[in-house]
Amino acid sequence: MAKRVAIVAVAQTKYHPNRADVNEGELAYEAIKQVLEETGLTLSDIDSAVTCCQDAWDGRTIASLNLQHVVGAHFGHEFTVAEDGINAAYVAMSQVLSGHHEIVLVESHMKESQGDKSLIENAAFDAILMRQLGLDFTSAAALQARRYMDKYGITPEQCAKAVVRNHSNAKNNPFAQGPMDIAVDDVLRSRMLVSPIRLLDTKPISDGACAMVMTTEEKAKKLARKPVWIMGVSNCYETHYLGDRELADCGALVKAAKKAYSMAGINDPLSQIDVAEISTEYSYQEPLWMEGLGFCGRGEGGKLVDSRTIEMGGQLPVNPSGGVLPGNPNTVAGMARVAEAVLQLRGEAGARQVKGAKVALAHGYTGICGQLQAVMILANI
Amino acid sequence: MAKGSPTKKPKKSEQPEYIRIKFDLPRPYHWSTGRYLGKLYAEAKENKKLMANRCPKCKEIKVHAPTPVCPKCKVDMGWDWVELPQTGTVFQYTYQVYPLWDPHVGGRWANPHPPAIILLDNGVYLRHLLEETDTKKLREGMRVQAVWEEDYEKRGQGFQDILYFRTIEE
Amino acid sequence: MAGRVAIVGVGQTHHTTRRDDVNLPEMVGEAVRAALADAQLSIKDIEAFIFSNMEAFEGILLPEHGMITEVGATGKPGLKVTGGGTTGSEAVGEGCHMISAGLYDITMVISWQKHDCGDATAGISAAAVPTFAKGMVTGAVSEFAKQALSYMKESGAREEHAAMVRLKADRGACRNPYSHLKLGLKSIDEVLQSPYLVWPIRLYDFCPQSCGACVLVLASEKKAKKIHKKPVWVADFEVVHQEPFRAGSFGDPTGTETYSQHVACERLYKRNGITNVRKQVDLAEIYEPSTWEEMSLYEHFYFCEKNEGWKLIEKGVTNIEGDFPVNCSGGVIASNPIGATPVLRIAEAALQIRGDAGEHQATRDIKTAIATALGGPNWTAMFLLKRS
Repeated sequence: MAKRVAIVAVAQTKYHPNRADVNEGELAYEAIKQVLEETGLTLSDIDSAVTCCQDAWDGRTIASLNLQHVVGAHFGHEFTVAEDGINAAYVAMSQVLSGHHEIVLVESHMKESQGDKSLIENAAFDAILMRQLGLDFTSAAALQARRYMDKYGITPEQCAKAVVRNHSNAKNNPFAQGPMDIAVDDVLRSRMLVSPIRLLDTKPISDGACAMVMTTEEKAKKLARKPVWIMGVSNCYETHYLGDRELADCGALVKAAKKAYSMAGINDPLSQIDVAEISTEYSYQEPLWMEGLGFCGRGEGGKLVDSRTIEMGGQLPVNPSGGVLPGNPNTVAGMARVAEAVLQLRGEAGARQVKGAKVALAHGYTGICGQLQAVMILANI
Repeated sequence: MAKGSPTKKPKKSEQPEYIRIKFDLPRPYHWSTGRYLGKLYAEAKENKKLMANRCPKCKEIKVHAPTPVCPKCKVDMGWDWVELPQTGTVFQYTYQVYPLWDPHVGGRWANPHPPAIILLDNGVYLRHLLEETDTKKLREGMRVQAVWEEDYEKRGQGFQDILYFRTIEE
Repeated sequence: MAGRVAIVGVGQTHHTTRRDDVNLPEMVGEAVRAALADAQLSIKDIEAFIFSNMEAFEGILLPEHGMITEVGATGKPGLKVTGGGTTGSEAVGEGCHMISAGLYDITMVISWQKHDCGDATAGISAAAVPTFAKGMVTGAVSEFAKQALSYMKESGAREEHAAMVRLKADRGACRNPYSHLKLGLKSIDEVLQSPYLVWPIRLYDFCPQSCGACVLVLASEKKAKKIHKKPVWVADFEVVHQEPFRAGSFGDPTGTETYSQHVACERLYKRNGITNVRKQVDLAEIYEPSTWEEMSLYEHFYFCEKNEGWKLIEKGVTNIEGDFPVNCSGGVIASNPIGATPVLRIAEAALQIRGDAGEHQATRDIKTAIATALGGPNWTAMFLLKRS
C-alpha cells in the first residue's frame, strides 16, 4: 500500500468475569482514557470514532447510545461496526486511508455477564431452519470440532495441549482474566459440555473493553514514539448454513489470509511472521485456524500443536498473551489480538515479549463457526 | 418503472396459508447502572432525592443519565452532584391516544400518564410523566410536584422511583 | 476525500407492509439483482459488501450472516454497520471510504429491513436506556409529538400544513412504483380525519413500517465511467452524532440546544462553497419521519428562513413541479424500511440526477442533489450528489 496507517496507542481493561461495578460506557471509557493519556489527545481532537458493539449483546436497540459521551460523539462522527472488533480496526484503517478522517478512535466492549450467552447466540441462527434446534455457538462449534477431528485425526489431547499452552502463556499477561495451572489431563477430565467440547476446551464468561487510536503517517510521528503500521488486512465471509459448509476446512480464513498476506508481501508465514495472536474460543480452533492461516498444511494442525514451533521461543510463537481461552469477551477478542500484536511490536509486552518482533499477525472471527474471518498484518518498520 | 430495475411486484395472494410455529425464548439481561447512574439510584431509593451531576468546565447540570464524561465539553465529569428540586412547571406535554407496543411492558398499551417536559425550579429541564390523566385538565405552565413511591421495598427503580408529577393547586 | 466515488447501480424492492412471499435473504436478493441489472454488472464484479440494518427489528444477531449466499457475498470481504436511523448513510459512507482508500474499486451497499418480523415502535422504545428511561419513551412517535408541538408554537404552522405535507408525499408515492403507502388522498380533510397516535401526531402524519431493501453499487473514478453511462458522483458527505436523551430528542423545546442538522450543513455547505442552497442545489431527498419534521427540516437545512418551512409547503415550492423539489419519491412518510431508508434517499436522489425516476421525476433539470438521513437521537447524515 502506498500510504500507511499507524496505530499509535492501544489499551485493554483487565478481563474479568463480572464487572457489575460499571455500565458499558464506563467500561469502554476505562480503555479510552488510557489511549487518550498515552497520546496526549482529548476527545475533542478525535475526528471519528469507530465503535464495536451489537444490540443483542448489550440488550438495547442502538447499542452505541451507551457510548456517545465517552467517544466524544457530540457533533462528531461515530460509526458502529456490528462484527468482531478486528473488523472495527479494519474500518478505522479505511477511514484514515480514504483521507476523510485523520485521527480515529477505535473502541470495542462487551459485558458477557449481562445476558445469557447461549440464548443470545441462538438468535444468530436462521429462524426458519436452524434456530429451533436450540443451537448456540458452542453446539455449532462442537459440530465443527467433531467433523474436523474425524476428518484429519486431530486428537482431544492435541486440542488440550493448545489450552494448556494458552493458559500458561497468559500467566505473563497482566490483562488476562484467570489463567489456570492446568495440564492436559485436567482438560480431558473436565465436564463435557457438547461433545467433543469440554468445559476447559472453552473460555469463561468475560467482561472487558479495548481501545486504540489510528492516524496518518504524518500525525503518527508526533503522537507516538513507536508507531505500528498496518501492512495488510482483509476479511472474508463463508456461507451460513452449517450443512452447506465443509466444516473441517475454513475456506473463508484461507482467503482472508491470502489477501492480507499479499498486501503485506508475505508468502511464507512461518518464516516471515515473528508473532501471531489468533482468536480461539474453543480449543479445536487453534489447529484449524493455523491451517487456514497457512502455518502448516491441511490436516497438520495437530502436529503443529504438538511441535515446539508455536511455543514461546519457537519459530512462530502463537498467542503469547494467552489469547481468548483464559477469558476474553466476544466482540473484543479480535481487537484485543491487534492490541497485543501492537504491544509486541513496540517491545512493550513485558514477560510475554517475543524478542525482536518486527512483523505480527492478528486474527479475529465473527459468528457461527467463524463465518466471517479477518486477518491483519502489522509491522514496526 | 425506473430503467434497468426489473424487480417484480409481488402478487397479492388471496389468503396466504400460514404455518404457525410458536417459539418463545425469553432473553433475560442484568444491566449494571455503573458508578454514576448508581449514585442516582442510591439517592432515590434511600433518600427520595433526585440527583444530577455537574460538569466542572461548562457547569451544566446533566439530568438525563448522569455520565462520566460531559458530552459537550468532552471532559471528565468528576464527582460534583446537585440535588434537583422536586417542583417545577410543565413546559410541554403530550399524551398517548393509540396503544402501541412497549417492550418494557411486554404488550400494547397507551400509557395513561402523559409524558411531559418539566422545567424544575432550578432551571433544569426534566422528562417525566404527569399524574393527571384527564387531558382536558392539562395545560402548559401548571405547577407540579414529584410523587415518590413511598414503599421502600418497591423503590430502587432509579428514575422511576418518582411515579409521576402531581398538579399542585395554585 | 482522496479518490472520487460514483454510484453506478441502484436497486430497490417494492416496499410494503408484509412480504409473505419471500424470506429475508430472498427479499434482499431481489434488490441485489436489480442493482446489478441497473449497473449491468455480474455479481463477480463486486469486490466487497457493506451491509446496513438495525438488528432490533428482526430480532436477529448478525443479521447479514444468514443471507451471504443469496446476495453473492460468499468468499468475499464485507462487514455490517449498525446504528440508528442513519445506519444506511454510514454504510454508504464506508462503501465510499473503502474505495477512496484504494482498497477496492467496486463495492456494494446492501440495506434492508423486514418489519413484518417485529414491531418498529417496540424496537425503538428499546433504545431507551433500560436502567433509566424504561416506559418513558413510546418509540419515535412520542419524540416527534414533542417536536410537532414546539414547531406549531414557534412557527405558527397549523395541522392543515402537516396535512399538505402528507398530500404532497402521497402524490409522489402514487407515481413511484416502489413506494409503500399509496393512499390516494384527495383533500386536507381526509388527512385530518385520521386518528391521533400521540397527540398531535396523527396516523397520516407519521411514517409506516415497511419491508424493503435498497442496494447501491459504488465504483471508483477509474471504473465508474466504464460501467455506467451516467455515474452519479458522491461529491461529499457528513455524518453528525449527538448524545442521547436530552429534553427533546428531535425538536428542542427548551431553545437551548444546537441541532446536528445545522452542524452538518455548516460543515458540508462550507466545504463545497454552498452559500445559497436553493440556488446551488436542485433537489433534496430528506429523511422526514413525520410531516411536521419535514417542515422543520426545511429550516434546519437552510432551504428557507426559520419558522418559514410551512410557507414552502403552502406555496408548493417543494412539489415535484416546484422550484425546489423535495421528496418526489414520497419520502419516508410513504416508505420506511428503516435500515434501508437512508440508502433509498441517496438512491432516489441519484435516479433524479440521472433522469431515470420515471413518473416521479422532478420537472426541473436536476444536476446536484442532497440526500439526508435522520437517526435517534437526532443524528444527521448528509450526502451531496452531482451529475457527471
